[in-house]
Amino acid sequence: MQSSSRRMGVMTDVHRRFLQLLMTHGVMEEREVAHLQKHCYKVHDSSATADKLEDFINNINSVLESLYIEIKKGITEDDGRPIYALVNLATTPVSKMASDYAENELDLFRKALELIIDSESGFASSTNILNLVDQLKGKRMRKKEAEQVLQKFVQNKWLIEKEGEFTLHGRAILEMEQYIRGMYPDSVKTCNICHGLLIQGQSCETCGIRMHLPCVAKYFQANPEPHCPHCNDYWPHEIPVFDPEKEGEPTISRPHRKSLRSRQH
Amino acid sequence: MSEASKAAACAPDPAGATPRSVMHAMPEMPGGDPQPLAAQAASLPGPDIPPLGPGHARPRSPPPPAPEDEEDDDDAEMEEDDEDDDPKALLQAAEEGRAPPAPGAAQAGPPPPAPAQLVQKAHELMWYVLVKDQQRMVLWFPDMVKDVIGSYKKWCRSILRRTSLILARVFGLHLRLASLHTMEFSLVKALEPEELDRVALGNRMPMTGLLLMILSLIYVKGRGARESAVWNVLRILGLRPWKKHTTFADVRRLITEEFVQQNYLKYQRVPYVEPPEYEFFWGPRANREITKLQIMEFLARVFKKDPQAWPSRYREALEEARALREAQPSAHCPRSSVSED
Repeated sequence: MQSSSRRMGVMTDVHRRFLQLLMTHGVMEEREVAHLQKHCYKVHDSSATADKLEDFINNINSVLESLYIEIKKGITEDDGRPIYALVNLATTPVSKMASDYAENELDLFRKALELIIDSESGFASSTNILNLVDQLKGKRMRKKEAEQVLQKFVQNKWLIEKEGEFTLHGRAILEMEQYIRGMYPDSVKTCNICHGLLIQGQSCETCGIRMHLPCVAKYFQANPEPHCPHCNDYWPHEIPVFDPEKEGEPTISRPHRKSLRSRQH
Repeated sequence: MSEASKAAACAPDPAGATPRSVMHAMPEMPGGDPQPLAAQAASLPGPDIPPLGPGHARPRSPPPPAPEDEEDDDDAEMEEDDEDDDPKALLQAAEEGRAPPAPGAAQAGPPPPAPAQLVQKAHELMWYVLVKDQQRMVLWFPDMVKDVIGSYKKWCRSILRRTSLILARVFGLHLRLASLHTMEFSLVKALEPEELDRVALGNRMPMTGLLLMILSLIYVKGRGARESAVWNVLRILGLRPWKKHTTFADVRRLITEEFVQQNYLKYQRVPYVEPPEYEFFWGPRANREITKLQIMEFLARVFKKDPQAWPSRYREALEEARALREAQPSAHCPRSSVSED
């Protein structure tokens, strides 16, 4: 069978255990991933020096390529922390959450997803989502049940909840980017800097282009006079400052001028 | 877990298929959809998502009653010995059971698919298995056929074989038939050394910790744990039945419904007690996946004591460990990803 052994990457038990545990956790932050890598080396091959994380992951990905799966790296939209997840690149229904949820639960997620994508802030209020409960496919769902299903999505890291509003978890963005772009090509937003899918971010009030908060932070780093990269108008928002090493809230480097539409984690 | 240990596991050899049928009457399978899994069964998102292959505009596979048809066709005998658990034999029986009543050359199905399609199906099945396992859902064979294999069910043997191979080579996981009765598969770690993957990641699998806490309580008590006792313990962790928790959300629902659905716990009414009270027991999945020694180590870690502080339980755990070792000359005890990650 044509599989891993033919590829340039070599799978050892170190890599296998890494993959197992990454899959178990679903999504992991970069720091945890580095720990995990060290742990796998320790268990299986303590004499070897660990590859650099990037090479380690690229090596594994070269093997996974023929299976249409990949260890993908992303950045959390609200505080710029790098995260990793094992994602399926195929867009067949089976590959996404389909196997875990009932038809009406999946439809609830789809409704919430649409609201989130269409919203200006990237958040959909619990009320608005629950009001759509009557339109769900499948078995009829009461609002109380729907609340619980939404909590299940939060638990399984598909959604994040803040103050009664829901947005997509970094993991969902990583796993579903292709699917979302395919399903909602007209309403989907993208970042002007990294061209990735954008749910939360800042936008230019003049020309409407958008940027992720971490992308804003990087682009305008230490720039006292930020201007829109597209229309050159003054950038009216506060520029966040992220330190990916530290865990915690990003700091705001400027005095408050306009209300910041981003949420702190 | 003798069945799983003896299974040919990842690569059942092609020569091994015998015409013998191992399907038998399955009284515990309800005539309709099994209740807890019904929710997962109808899980496809529907026509929204553009299908990538022909397998998706497919007719639904026949529901569980199909195995019952088998009874009429075969003098099936239930054999409990070794080769029985070859997944291939199971599949063959499934295929026989599901053959249309008027088998002809032109069945209601597509012509033999291109090899590339079978490979793609194997990849889909691999991901399906991984995700189900990640979510601690039961890997039920009829679900696998219905959700993934679909109209390719005649080739499900080769698809399954390929999937097992990939899982073993790339992930170091064995797809094993955990129970022939219930047609459940499980994904078992196959890497040596089979130790607790207690990675120093902090409390990254809080569900596991919560579950282990409850299982430990039941184990130490030596019998079922009343719900009130469980809440006393959980209160120490700051969990209350009425309070929503940041990680667990609705804790009560999690332990009385989700863990029960996943077969890790049993939640039963205490007989003859008024007003009604409920108690927790180990579920069949916990019995299969979690060893007593793991519980002792968990207790030791949490309470910072030596496992000998629970002498009779520790002795029991050691006995179980010895029995498991003797039952399996091939070193490790099959465990799933629930252990300590």
